[in-house]
Amino acid sequence: MSYLSSVDFFEDKDFLDRYRYTMRTGELDLSWMQAATEKVQCEPQNPRRGLTFRDLDVGTYGFTNMPELIRANRSFAPRGAEIPAGVPDLQAEVNRKSEVWAYNIEGYYEEAMSRQWNATTDVPWDELSKYELPEEIGKAYSQLLTFLTEVEMIATDVPAKWMGRLNADFFEVKNFIATQAMDEARHAEVFRKRALTTGWGLMRASLSNECNLKFLRDADSFAEASLTLHLQAEGMVLTLFRFSELISPTEVDKKMFRLVMQDEARHVGYGMQHLKWVLDHFPEKREVIHRHLDEAENFVFGGGYATEVLEPFIILSGKGMKQENIQQGLKITAQFNLKQVDEYFERLDKCGLPERRERSKLAQINEMTRAVIAAQA
Amino acid sequence: MTVSFPSIDFFRALQARMHDERERFKRLGYFDTVFGVRVLDAGRTHAYVLSFEVFECTGVRETADLSAEPVDFVLEGDLDTWVEMLRNIQQHRAADVAHSINTLTHLGERMRVVYDDPDGHDKLYRFAESVQEFIDLAATLDIEYAPRQAASHAGA
Amino acid sequence: MAYFAAKNFFEDPELLALTQKVFSGELTLTWYDSPTEKIACKPADQARGFTYEDCNVGTYGYTQLPEFIRKNYSMAARGSQIVPGLPDLGYTINRKSDVWSDNVGALYEEAKARRWAPAVDIDWGALKAAPLAAELEAAMSQLCTSLEEIALVMMEFPSRWVSAINQEFIELKSYLCAQMIDEARHVEVFRKRALAGGSGLKRASATVEQALKEILFAETYPEASLACNLLLGSLVLDILQHGAAVSAIDNRIFRLCSQDTARELAYGMGHMRYHLAHQPHRAEFLQDFLDRTEHTFLGIAASPEVLEPLIVLAGHGTAPAALGAGSRRVQAVLRQTVDRYLRRLAAVGLDRRGRSRLPHFFAAPN
Repeated sequence: MSYLSSVDFFEDKDFLDRYRYTMRTGELDLSWMQAATEKVQCEPQNPRRGLTFRDLDVGTYGFTNMPELIRANRSFAPRGAEIPAGVPDLQAEVNRKSEVWAYNIEGYYEEAMSRQWNATTDVPWDELSKYELPEEIGKAYSQLLTFLTEVEMIATDVPAKWMGRLNADFFEVKNFIATQAMDEARHAEVFRKRALTTGWGLMRASLSNECNLKFLRDADSFAEASLTLHLQAEGMVLTLFRFSELISPTEVDKKMFRLVMQDEARHVGYGMQHLKWVLDHFPEKREVIHRHLDEAENFVFGGGYATEVLEPFIILSGKGMKQENIQQGLKITAQFNLKQVDEYFERLDKCGLPERRERSKLAQINEMTRAVIAAQA
Repeated sequence: MTVSFPSIDFFRALQARMHDERERFKRLGYFDTVFGVRVLDAGRTHAYVLSFEVFECTGVRETADLSAEPVDFVLEGDLDTWVEMLRNIQQHRAADVAHSINTLTHLGERMRVVYDDPDGHDKLYRFAESVQEFIDLAATLDIEYAPRQAASHAGA
Repeated sequence: MAYFAAKNFFEDPELLALTQKVFSGELTLTWYDSPTEKIACKPADQARGFTYEDCNVGTYGYTQLPEFIRKNYSMAARGSQIVPGLPDLGYTINRKSDVWSDNVGALYEEAKARRWAPAVDIDWGALKAAPLAAELEAAMSQLCTSLEEIALVMMEFPSRWVSAINQEFIELKSYLCAQMIDEARHVEVFRKRALAGGSGLKRASATVEQALKEILFAETYPEASLACNLLLGSLVLDILQHGAAVSAIDNRIFRLCSQDTARELAYGMGHMRYHLAHQPHRAEFLQDFLDRTEHTFLGIAASPEVLEPLIVLAGHGTAPAALGAGSRRVQAVLRQTVDRYLRRLAAVGLDRRGRSRLPHFFAAPN
């Protein structure tokens, strides 16, 4: 796995002689001053927003003019820099823009950098002492938090796994991946910390969801990985966060869910804009996307086995375990499940994949479930 | 109120100013270090220990022997350099490039960073912005610069 | 490569039966009496907030983590109830002393607290108001071009390893995420600095990149961390100090970057200390690794694309006298850098004075 430079610099006589000569005489080569690069002076277009990547989207430096296939740069050279002979091959596996790009990727990155909140200090942990939750609510909530802390960092591991495989010219995407990695570490952190304040600690791991995480991790391409991670999985988690804010047992938890949902929405936004870009620029991927979603939706449906997620949600939304609470909780949970799937298909519609509904067993079952609920009502 | 430099009162005044501006220092992040300041004045040494924890300056004291203190690093310079730096801060409301801690200590020519443990040394850089902004608080003080001591003669 | 579910759940009668049961109100509650430790953590220091150290308790804590993780290859949260059948997520780093550092929790908290955003935390208007002389701006642009290359590699180093590291080491993985975002910030700020000053980017460097690839592609995590955080980090920190002396805007940019880089050094040192305390036999392997890898320091520091802009900036120009003064200053800087690097290594148990080729080279009369 290791790489060795093309030369041991201590044994490169020309290199050493040139260094010694430079330092002895002060005579420099200075040819880099005449590098064949564009002279630009980028400025903030909106001073309140500061100097953004969008402001740097000019000429050969910009992303708009980036070609679909990166043929000229397989090294670490920054986009727009002069590339000398002898730069090594980074072994990038992804060199096609439409495999990774997203509309507004630069905007998502800048937003992420400016909205990094801190789980240690931005949640009012000291206010938790005002609340005492009944046992069934405390346990149900701890179990929900256990699930959330368990799954969050898949969205660190999966994009990070791809970062080094992307061509260096796609640094806006790499940078966005770095912000997502940090966002997810923060989510795993805040849910873990909250679970450890409840008095019930962490609870049971989720077999069904762990298998889903393995599926997310083992995608064949970046586009497939991003589709299921950002759009499908995080999209459904976003709906979950919004419902969780609604059913939160305390004001502290409402604040916590509002904070995490900001980040999640940004990831989903990237996922949607990425899918749009792929469908606009890489139409051959459409069938591959459908095949991948077939299996992704299989895992979604298999989530029915995760009673350690479903049942806490029922108890929390019904606010207890008496029969009337459970019945109320079932109604809310059923609505949540429908909404989660509805929003997923709405996103696919907006991204240019409306035919997914007709192909999808998940969509069919969702409609059947909606009909049953309506009939029961 | 006028404070004399070098003196314990000077550093206590900086501590008080930092407390007044704690929201600004909070935004810079955790500031966890204990460092020494050594002012060399023609054979006489003025030495102080400054303690910082979380977002506050938690302690300021004078010491006779800084080398015996458990500090992360020591900023050491002669009186003229310290005074020049402080006058610069007062003139510009913050140190200019030539008088920042980083520039003055860069090669140890004007000011030196003395340390035993490289981990401790690296704390100067981990908290660089906070250290500089702490020193820059001198812009808000009314400082009287103590006259330089007459050089002592060896063996006298 | 793709992983498929064990079943087609859409045709799974068992799932259908379970779903009907639960939605009839008959909850299974298999999770309700989970036999995990019952605790209630809280912040020890309200001013600091609720840290990972506050959660370092019992079976949830990192102090009690065993050296070898054998029982969990999934993402099940440390301390939660492990159930049969959890999948293997493919972690290949499962030994604590291969990755751990006693300061990793604190450094993660510090990284979060000391975050900054180049877009808005730098006064970019100052460049227009007080531009550098053209040749100094060109030198700064070249330096930033090289620093952007370096930052990309320092960002990719943690990304290469994080998904291979067992999730039980969550605090360490979180710290690596912080390192990724810190270096993303550096990629961003150096690029912005070069493109805002009027000179544009300059030339990438073959020697720098060869050296960086060797560092990035190190075979094991301890070697990669040693090379990236300690070897490269030592050089980068001193380059940042040097760059901070150029102008007001660079003073702020480089000082903020140096905070991040110094934190990486702190982790690198802590990691090596922990690693060698628990695997002392690895010292000679790492010495051998450095014997053949330290040349990358030379390859970067002495490459014209790094060295020459440092000289021009140090001497404040390209007139012969300026270049002569700049060369002498940079020579002194590099000698100091090597000395500091070796002091760091000695402090963690890898004394290389007498073994490293670097001091002799940089101290050699020219």
